[in-house]
Amino acid sequence: MIKVRIPTPLRPLTKNQGEVEATAGSIAEMIENLNAAHPGLKDRLCDDKGELRRFVNIYVNEEDIRFLKGKDTSLKDGDEVSIVPAIAGGN
Amino acid sequence: MSALKIPQQILDDMIAHARELDPFECCGLLAGTNGAVSRHYRITNTVAKDARAVEVFEGADVKQLSHLSNSTKAEVAYFMDPKEMLAAFKDMRQRNLELAVIYHSHTHSPAYPSATDVGLAYYPDAAYLIISLEHKTAPDLRAYWIKDRQVSRAEFQSV
Repeated sequence: MIKVRIPTPLRPLTKNQGEVEATAGSIAEMIENLNAAHPGLKDRLCDDKGELRRFVNIYVNEEDIRFLKGKDTSLKDGDEVSIVPAIAGGN
Repeated sequence: MSALKIPQQILDDMIAHARELDPFECCGLLAGTNGAVSRHYRITNTVAKDARAVEVFEGADVKQLSHLSNSTKAEVAYFMDPKEMLAAFKDMRQRNLELAVIYHSHTHSPAYPSATDVGLAYYPDAAYLIISLEHKTAPDLRAYWIKDRQVSRAEFQSV
């Protein structure tokens, strides 16, 4: 089982749960499985082409998946995944 | 949504943060319980250092940054260090606090959300607080809710 931390903006899709569980062997599979349990989640994380939106940061055990294998990063039982939208702006 | 309550000491510390980094933009997070803020996290503005910042801004079609020098980027934009954000959210979880406020400074313009701020506002449940240093001797602090690109004033009181 993978533990997934859901950021506040996405909690309306997870019945306000800040943590959900998923079974998956990779980030891509985790997104599909999360979307099956919480419809709409994939659209918030990925664009029309299925690529991760640029402002979405995903960490596996605090490592940024961009420095691992992106959506192909493998997951194993007990991993903790955090989804954290970027915070940015300017004048 | 309960009215925000921010300790005066935290308001003073945010202004100090903005002044320390002026003319560059500062940024950070405040956390608390039911709108009562109790914790302040200064976060590093990595807009000039992180290549992903340019992707995020240009991906959202809000601001062209790639042609600007690194120092100019940090005068007109902020991008919170993702690692520090992750650590702040972990600390909030351990202390049972919620994200209450996302703040940054405008060093040359009023304390009103820019088109960039609105286009990149991904946290509708947090108030966006802006510290304007347009008038250096009189910092102006104002907070807003930004939901579905609609901006409304978020009242806060110092406690």
